[in-house]
Amino acid sequence: MPELSQEAIYVWLTIGLLLMATVISRSALFLMGRSLKISPTLMHALRYAPAAALSAIVAPDLFMQAGQTDVSLVNPKLVAGIAASLFFLWTRHMLSTIVVGMLVFSMMRAAI
Amino acid sequence: MTPSQPPAAATGTDAIDRQTYLEAVRASAGTWPGIVAWGLVSGMAIVKAGLTIWQALAMTLLVFAGSAQLSALPLMMSHTPVLVIFATALVVNLRFVIFSAAISPHFSHLPWRGRLWHGYFCSDMMMAFFPQRFPFSTLGNHAGKKGFYWGIATSNWVAWQGGAVAGILLANRIPESWQVGFAGTLALLAVMIPLTINRAALAGVLVAGAVAVAAAGLPFRMGLLLAVICGMAVAMLFDHWEPDHA
Repeated sequence: MPELSQEAIYVWLTIGLLLMATVISRSALFLMGRSLKISPTLMHALRYAPAAALSAIVAPDLFMQAGQTDVSLVNPKLVAGIAASLFFLWTRHMLSTIVVGMLVFSMMRAAI
Repeated sequence: MTPSQPPAAATGTDAIDRQTYLEAVRASAGTWPGIVAWGLVSGMAIVKAGLTIWQALAMTLLVFAGSAQLSALPLMMSHTPVLVIFATALVVNLRFVIFSAAISPHFSHLPWRGRLWHGYFCSDMMMAFFPQRFPFSTLGNHAGKKGFYWGIATSNWVAWQGGAVAGILLANRIPESWQVGFAGTLALLAVMIPLTINRAALAGVLVAGAVAVAAAGLPFRMGLLLAVICGMAVAMLFDHWEPDHA
């Protein structure tokens, strides 16, 4: 048996917990069926959580460079993110949004 | 109410399920290119985050949740504690609780293993197709639901995993300097925008983003959870002050 490195244990443990997060969030209501009642207020709050969480993941990547906040038009990720958001609002098409965002990102990096 | 499954002799329902299976496959066909591309990006992002091929394949094949996977990658790269990553994935996945509240009542007659299995495949695509084909008014009648459900589930799974496996195998041929990992962030943006359903949600998104940047220096990435809580609180307060638009 080859010994697992700390790094490998960390990655496999994370994969296991992500699998649990999938099963819990998707199957909990299927399993509990009618015995579980979620209050309308909680249901209402749940609607806003995923967008807030995604924003909290995406914002540091767009607004920070090397640990420093960089809200300027010479920040390639910020400009590409704004361009991609506008393009998505216009077309509602994910694939072309990613392509446009990557193009703007690459052009910005080449220009700076 | 039948306590156990009806005997398999009911060939009539099998025929209906075969029909609705094909109906579901045809209905969802237009979404496949987008699903394949989103899988491709997520597969590449996993490898670019430093996971081995086997770890990447295990992650995509087992976890089967694109936005939670992509959200976990930057956290893994900065060695965030596993419980913080777990909590983050749960929050990103909370939308599935809402989806399953709409879909699970249709399958409450199944034994627990069947319900667990149906739940695992209750993805974004399922929410996009199942409730409009089978609204709550069809709750008492099971005809065709199994076929339709698995028609969406299998075609979505094949499209997503096909793209992801291709992305994992191709990732090392793409030069590091292209920084394709950023495509993962762009994909998350495209997931986030439709989830921003009203002005309250927008307020939550703006506050969560600002707090996440301001609190980025906190240990154990606690700024992330703080940001989500602040964002949700602001969205709820917004509805409280201005309930008419909700």
